[in-house]
Amino acid sequence: MRLRVLGSGVALSLVVGVLAAAGIERAKPPANLPPGVSSVLYQLAVPADAVPTQDKVALGDKLFNDKRLSVDDSVSCATCHDPARGFVDHKPQSEGIGSHRGKRNAPTVLNAMFNATQFWDGRAPTLEAQAKLPILNPIEMGQRAPEDVVKKVQGIPEYVQTFRQVFGRDVNYDDLAAAIAAFERTQYAGDSPFDHYLAGDDKAIGDDAKRGWAIFNGKGRCNNCHAFSIVSPIFSDQKFHNIGIAAHKTDFIQLAAKGVAMVRSGDLEQIDHLALETDLSELGRFLVTKNLSDVGTFKTPTLRNIMVTGPYMHDGSLATLWDVMDHYNKGGVPNPYLDGGMQRIGLSEAEIDDTVAFLATLTSPPFKDFAAQELAAQRGRKDTRPERDTDVALGKKGNLGDLAPDPDLKNPADIGALPPIPPAPGA
Amino acid sequence: MGIKSIETKHYEERADFFERLRHLSRRDFFKLAGLSAGVAMAKSVVWPHAFQLVDVADAAQGPAPKFTFAYISDTHLYEQTLNDRFVRAIMKAVDDVNALDPQPDFVLFGGDLAQLGQQKELELGRDILKTVKAPIHMMVGEHDWFLDMGQVWRDYFGAPQYSFDHKGTHFVVLMSVNEKDFWTSRGMTPMQRMQTVAGLDNGTQSRFEVGEDGRAWLKADLAKVPHTTPLVIFSHSPLYKYYRNWNFWTEDADEVQAILRPYPSVTVIHGHTHQLLTNHINNIDFHGMLSTAWPWPYAPEGLPHVTVQMNRADPFDQFDGCGDGSVNLLQSGLVDKLYTLWDRNPVTVRASYVRSGGKVDRPIGTKLASY
Amino acid sequence: MTRTTRLTGIASAIAVAALGIGLATRSGAEDPGHTLPAPAHGGVVVGLCDGQTALELPDLREGATLSHERAQQVSDQLMAEWRAKNPHAAWDEAETVAKADEAAAKTGGSDSASAGAKKAAEAEKAKSTGGGVQVQTYGAFSERDEAIWKAATDDFVHEGDRIFHDAKALGGTIGVSCDMCHPNAANTHPETYPKYQVQFGRVALLRDMINWCIGNPVRGKPLHDDDPKLKALEAYILAQRKGVALDYGKH
Repeated sequence: MRLRVLGSGVALSLVVGVLAAAGIERAKPPANLPPGVSSVLYQLAVPADAVPTQDKVALGDKLFNDKRLSVDDSVSCATCHDPARGFVDHKPQSEGIGSHRGKRNAPTVLNAMFNATQFWDGRAPTLEAQAKLPILNPIEMGQRAPEDVVKKVQGIPEYVQTFRQVFGRDVNYDDLAAAIAAFERTQYAGDSPFDHYLAGDDKAIGDDAKRGWAIFNGKGRCNNCHAFSIVSPIFSDQKFHNIGIAAHKTDFIQLAAKGVAMVRSGDLEQIDHLALETDLSELGRFLVTKNLSDVGTFKTPTLRNIMVTGPYMHDGSLATLWDVMDHYNKGGVPNPYLDGGMQRIGLSEAEIDDTVAFLATLTSPPFKDFAAQELAAQRGRKDTRPERDTDVALGKKGNLGDLAPDPDLKNPADIGALPPIPPAPGA
Repeated sequence: MGIKSIETKHYEERADFFERLRHLSRRDFFKLAGLSAGVAMAKSVVWPHAFQLVDVADAAQGPAPKFTFAYISDTHLYEQTLNDRFVRAIMKAVDDVNALDPQPDFVLFGGDLAQLGQQKELELGRDILKTVKAPIHMMVGEHDWFLDMGQVWRDYFGAPQYSFDHKGTHFVVLMSVNEKDFWTSRGMTPMQRMQTVAGLDNGTQSRFEVGEDGRAWLKADLAKVPHTTPLVIFSHSPLYKYYRNWNFWTEDADEVQAILRPYPSVTVIHGHTHQLLTNHINNIDFHGMLSTAWPWPYAPEGLPHVTVQMNRADPFDQFDGCGDGSVNLLQSGLVDKLYTLWDRNPVTVRASYVRSGGKVDRPIGTKLASY
Repeated sequence: MTRTTRLTGIASAIAVAALGIGLATRSGAEDPGHTLPAPAHGGVVVGLCDGQTALELPDLREGATLSHERAQQVSDQLMAEWRAKNPHAAWDEAETVAKADEAAAKTGGSDSASAGAKKAAEAEKAKSTGGGVQVQTYGAFSERDEAIWKAATDDFVHEGDRIFHDAKALGGTIGVSCDMCHPNAANTHPETYPKYQVQFGRVALLRDMINWCIGNPVRGKPLHDDDPKLKALEAYILAQRKGVALDYGKH
């Protein structure tokens, strides 16, 4: 079937108009974006001066994979964001130089260009700002200061030449980050079976996945945070929520008190340090905003390629998508800052299976085989379900009533109905 | 499965909690509710999620209070088997006030404990409130009253109208949800009467009033209170005229305000409106209380101009727009009012803000228009 | 008092509707339709909404569609026939309709208008309707008609009002009804739909949100699109915001 680009011409020109009125110059989206990648969102997410050019992308690609950026030549960006394996490392928490382990799970680079903010706690506003931090973190790539990085890269003749060609000047830290960001802005997640289903190929996904899509939008309430629309097809609202993961492992109440006391006393350290090396990492977005409403909240991640980016959650504490479903099914883990949207869902085993089947349809073509392996492996663990608490999920324990009866569905896909996707101009 | 998950423990504790509540007597309640420092019951209950912070940004500012009291209001309980959400909400509020450190001098319950005034509903509320560690003062709301005209309420909690003194402030709990008889002529059953009063947007019911008897009682009560004494009036209905169609209204508000006029420092803390609501009329500051059950929208007209609105709640979040709060009694006799909005940052409405007519110390408002 | 409506608009709407369904003109089961003569030549019979004017397209088979041009010809032909049968019908041009409306507005309606103003309005109308000839069929309606229409509309809205205030009627399982958060349908803003609804992460219509609320805070089963309860709820909510300007897309 022919590829179609999401986002109509009308919406696109509207966005351009709005941005122009606001005096913001935005990039012209590439002509052949894969299905499932929105040209409207591209306009909103990519500044005009950050449009990836071929030479920048090539340089960024090289830097991204170059261990020499780290202090001891042992770690590159790709160490934790492996391009061949969904741009993640498949470890619960990432390991940096000297096998130091951080507190958080490596998020994928795929579609990271469409994030409103970077990192689990959103502490970096742009890909460029993000790229600079791990290089300098003592437990990631271990460089002490930007000058050290620049000096080291400056000592590699091939880079000196390339930086001159691409940026017309000597190596500097901003350009280095810009090149990496340019590479990252070519890493789309799209063209998945689900995108083809939406574009009209009814056979692109199975009946179980179609039922799962209905659950996703209905009974499962997934879409409230993992928002999907034609304009923003990234399955994320880019907001921060406390879903109770932090309360799993730590005495969260005490931890929150400690964090708040720190804020009150004005005794603040680098967020980067707190987030990666201390228990306060679990306070999430609070470390950035100091807002009480952000205690223990983390950014809603994209769901595209979720099959190949496990383990899951900000700390990688859930091994399989079944575990993730179990976590939500019982309404998360109680804690005083739990998002009020977290309520038990009451999905049956079959409904959980259907939802996972749907999630598996969000895989991009390069990871098709890998995703099949992962799905099989996760299914193989289906009897090991540490997060499952069926009685709580179904309201048989804890007397947590308050669940709507199952809806009568004429056509399961109706509940997730979207407006028809117009063919791309000239498609 | 030897190891229990944190949430399994949580639910077990909760089940155990309700089991033990059933064995508590009315005497226990009053023992806990202020006649003694009996917190044995509360101590034996481990709250896995008992925790609430004060406003971080505000902590450094503001005058030190003489004392603090907390409030829980408008819980609108059904029986637990029908609606567990409202039960979870009141328990969240109890957790909040129990976790306050230091503990408040007392806790005001602001009325509408029950949704339809039924004995089982009031009983459930009474039992849950037994676990409030600080002494508690009860106020009645129309949802508690109009099924049996306050019979069960009086039995459980005593007279709906009373006063007390605390650290130099005179507190009055006013019964302000009386209505003129609209039911007899219509041949309504008690439940029909109750359901009519429970709705906001029907033209059938009468307006709230303190009534002639209530006003006489208030006059008599204040007769012995010097005019220099700070007054705090607890009233379920707002004690001013905000929006008649929804009974955000007290028909004899002007008369009541006149009785309070000789006192330079008067604060009215009211329930019923389920929203951030502030007013100032002559010598009186008015503060609304949050509901634990659901937020009301702002009325289409009549909103007092000093009110800094909360923006619309997101119904996806079962607690958004709801909460509890506390009140700091200042040396001046006026109050700073803290709204503990769940899942949002807390908001403090200061006496200095209200008394300046909104000129100084404006609380942080929402950027979004309420319309 | 008899008034004239804009036949132009109504008639063309009918024509378009007929074309829109590919000229499959047998009436549906739900709405009272007009009985059309059976085709005499094995073609398809197309009728006008007066229930009388009809013509057969002998070359057209059931289920086939016409080109836009041909369809327009058919529509024009039917209308021409109707006009010929009704030479005195108030076939207002847009301009004269506007004038008549203006005059009616000036008189302040039939009840409150002074006799003089009323007369003037009728004289004005007589001019525009072709010399005071009593109009007929769709072009005319009386106060009685209006009273019936209003009562029927109110009835519909009242049913919505009832359901809006009744947890059981909503199918709710926890005693929560719409009015508990939306007295007088406050904060429902029907005039802002369609709009991006964060609860869905996409654009929704009012009925989608009604159904979401039934499923979530109310804890009932979402209603089907064609459920009379859903229609009544929509009617009540829209009625409560009568006169509020449409501002779709607004948050």
